[in-house]
Amino acid sequence: MGHILVLFRIKSSMNAIFAVVFTLAAAVFLFTDPDGFLPAMLSGGEKAALLSLDLLAVYCVWLGFFKILEKSGLADKIARLFSPLAKRIFRTDDREAIYCACGNLSANMLGLPGAPTPLGIKATKRFLDTGNDRAADLLFVLNATSLQLLPTTVIALRIAAGAENAMDILLPTLLSTLISTFAGFLLLKISHALRRKK
Amino acid sequence: MKYFSLVIPTLFLAVFLYALIKKVKLYDGFAEGVKEAAPLVLSLFPYLAAILILSELFERSGLSALVTGWLSPAFSFLGIPPEIAKLVLMKPFSGSGSTALLSEILHTYGADSYIGRCACCAYGSSETVFYISAVYFAGVRKKRMFTPIFVSLSANFIGVICACLFCRFM
Repeated sequence: MGHILVLFRIKSSMNAIFAVVFTLAAAVFLFTDPDGFLPAMLSGGEKAALLSLDLLAVYCVWLGFFKILEKSGLADKIARLFSPLAKRIFRTDDREAIYCACGNLSANMLGLPGAPTPLGIKATKRFLDTGNDRAADLLFVLNATSLQLLPTTVIALRIAAGAENAMDILLPTLLSTLISTFAGFLLLKISHALRRKK
Repeated sequence: MKYFSLVIPTLFLAVFLYALIKKVKLYDGFAEGVKEAAPLVLSLFPYLAAILILSELFERSGLSALVTGWLSPAFSFLGIPPEIAKLVLMKPFSGSGSTALLSEILHTYGADSYIGRCACCAYGSSETVFYISAVYFAGVRKKRMFTPIFVSLSANFIGVICACLFCRFM
């Protein structure tokens, strides 16, 4: 148990992960393929540039849509509808955070590509600004354990690969994604409880 | 599947009509929303670049193959076929990389084989954890980011183990 607690104490873990993976990979390149190092990094950068362009296109559509949703007053109605549930899950009264978090989760479930992210970022900022770190953690875990109900990419790939019944993976996928989301929820609760004890 | 394609157009139509009734200026409002798109992408870009460069190095240096080799006995013990071990390891880092890998697996082993179905469920039930963490916590000086990342990775792994189990009899 001791070493797990030490890991919990590592602040800014992305820096640690980055340092370890980068150093190891660079060392391997140095000994096996020194000429491949720079092209590999450049190709990563290229991917980031292309992905950002894709994201820009997607966000144009969804941010425009969400602004209309906000202006029409529907966003407020959605927030009011979900607030009893959200108050219990995220422990917050903040209307805007509730709307953003609920919109994020429903866009996730529908599998709308790209749509959940802007709302998720807004909700996370809002949670962190109000000192509600646990809600931010929870929203991240719910997002990162894939609450998707219809795996559109997988079905498209299965059809492309000539599957007899492209949809027959729906049930096992749904069950395992439900389990992973529930496991994430539980593990987070446990880790929060452990920290409170300390 | 046929009806699912109706969801998005209906959603847009319903919301825009409702907004019209509420006398919202659609053109101005839409443009106002889009205004936030470029700053949002710009704020994400540095973190995306760092993560994507890192995963490219991880992949091309052969580290990922090495780690896959080490872990595949442990994976088979948990019921995860070694053929999809690489996919399971790659998914947290790269969405496009794991999509390419899934397509490769489907073509090599067949979409209706146990390996193929297993790969689909493993792909569908897990998420690109590091990518999402880069996006959601971009520029946030948050202590203890390790907890949510570690929790999500473990939960996804539990999901993959279950997926491989379910695929045996579903």
